Amino acid sequence: MNAVIEIRGLAKAFGSFQALAGVDLDVRPGEVLCIIGASGSGKTTLLRCINQLVEFDAGSIVLDGALVGYRRAGDVLHPLSEREIARQRLRTGMVFQRFNLFPHLTALENVIEGPVQVLRRPKAEAIAEARALLKRVGLADKEGAYPASLSGGQQQRVAIARALAMKPQVILFDEPTSALDPELVGEVLAVMKDLARSGVTMIVVTHELAFAREVADRVVFMDKGAIVESGTPAKVLGSPREPRTQAFLSAVLGGHRTG
Amino acid sequence: MSLRIVHKRHWGRWLAAAVIVVLLILLAIAFAHGQIDWKVVGQFFTAPAILSGLVNTVVMAVLAMALGIVLGVVVAVMRLSPNQVLQSVAIGYAWLFRGTPTILQLLLWFNLGLVFPTLGIPGVWSVKTIDVMTPFLAALLGLGINQGAYTSEVVRAGLMSVDAGQTEAAQSIGMTRLLALRRIILPQAMRVVIPPLGNEFIGMVKLTSLASVIQYAEVLHSAEDIYYVNNKVIELLIVAGLWYLVVVSLLTPLQMLLERRFARGVATSR
Repeated sequence: MNAVIEIRGLAKAFGSFQALAGVDLDVRPGEVLCIIGASGSGKTTLLRCINQLVEFDAGSIVLDGALVGYRRAGDVLHPLSEREIARQRLRTGMVFQRFNLFPHLTALENVIEGPVQVLRRPKAEAIAEARALLKRVGLADKEGAYPASLSGGQQQRVAIARALAMKPQVILFDEPTSALDPELVGEVLAVMKDLARSGVTMIVVTHELAFAREVADRVVFMDKGAIVESGTPAKVLGSPREPRTQAFLSAVLGGHRTG
Repeated sequence: MSLRIVHKRHWGRWLAAAVIVVLLILLAIAFAHGQIDWKVVGQFFTAPAILSGLVNTVVMAVLAMALGIVLGVVVAVMRLSPNQVLQSVAIGYAWLFRGTPTILQLLLWFNLGLVFPTLGIPGVWSVKTIDVMTPFLAALLGLGINQGAYTSEVVRAGLMSVDAGQTEAAQSIGMTRLLALRRIILPQAMRVVIPPLGNEFIGMVKLTSLASVIQYAEVLHSAEDIYYVNNKVIELLIVAGLWYLVVVSLLTPLQMLLERRFARGVATSR
């Protein structure tokens, strides 16, 4: 099947720090891809390049057949306008580590904001769909609540509903459970598992190896801005070939190899 | 056996209150015997000339503040824009108008005709500057543009107080910078901006009195016109002063209403 995302030679430096040093990656429709690696390995930068919150220095990303951020004329790439970039971002949804819900809007208002303001959908339709989405993430009774009155796990589930409401082709998760209290991680992962089973294409940057093992179709291990190893969870997490992957896993798992 | 608790006696408070009361009484007696004709104060408090001056004061304060807020928001956004040209223009604007006295700016606007005798498009259409630059327009431009320079800094502080993640979240659902600003960033910045803006508005109510020097008929100007005739200087200054106090007192509850409106989502706690 054709890839929904094709990344070739992607590079990005922040000053003298090389965050991405030539990444090649294909993501198939319906695939759940988990990216693991130490902090500073370039995982988050990779996600942020895909939805253009970060401008990359070299390489290319093709999203659903369209070049991301540029228009090609012969051998020359012309940068897209801000409006065109905003339109491209509609193909990707993003779930942030720190939720980033809009604090002045209720849970329901957060979810309908994009459909109504950006997609210009009729408000009644958007509300009906938002209610269904809040129900899907288990928050049907919280539609009138402001983010400040919700727990971290509830906020993150509203954020997932907000991303789903835009009907993106791919949802990018940037360490979605890292800012949560341990007892709240499970409820967010449960929603993500449900999405994965329903065929949503997902790229998940995560430290939750158990989640990756259970849900991912493919696990990618990154180090120093490059992909070191990639394969099924059983291969990458269970019997990694690369010494760097082995070192990372034994550090994370405290020396106990499981799986 | 039950023990009785005797409350602490605050002798210092009683003493301070007694001293203040005595001083207030002495002050009241002094003013009662002073050269103030209180009957004149009462008589002119609701005089038509004073009331029309009051209306002009309020109208000018509201319009100049509105102009100041519009300019302030635009300039604050320019200042935070990645476009260096817009940034420089914003910095230059704040420098120029905060760096010169307001009364001087009012006089410059009022006397604009000395620099540009006519305004318009040469050969197509033009008007005499002195016909256009009425005391009202000169005061509005002078006060509003000056206010914009101060308001831009207040708004900038508000915009910077909103987490950068908010812009990213707005962009992630396909919003352009402008839409994100209008729907997501500004409403959150308002919460921070309103208290200092209330302060600025109170300042503006009093600043309109400067417009009396360019013949704008606000309340102080009306009071002056009256005391030039009847010589009751202090009485009419008290009339004007009381009206300023009334207007400013009405602004405080208005500010509280606005603050509550923009505190949505913040005040609610778990």
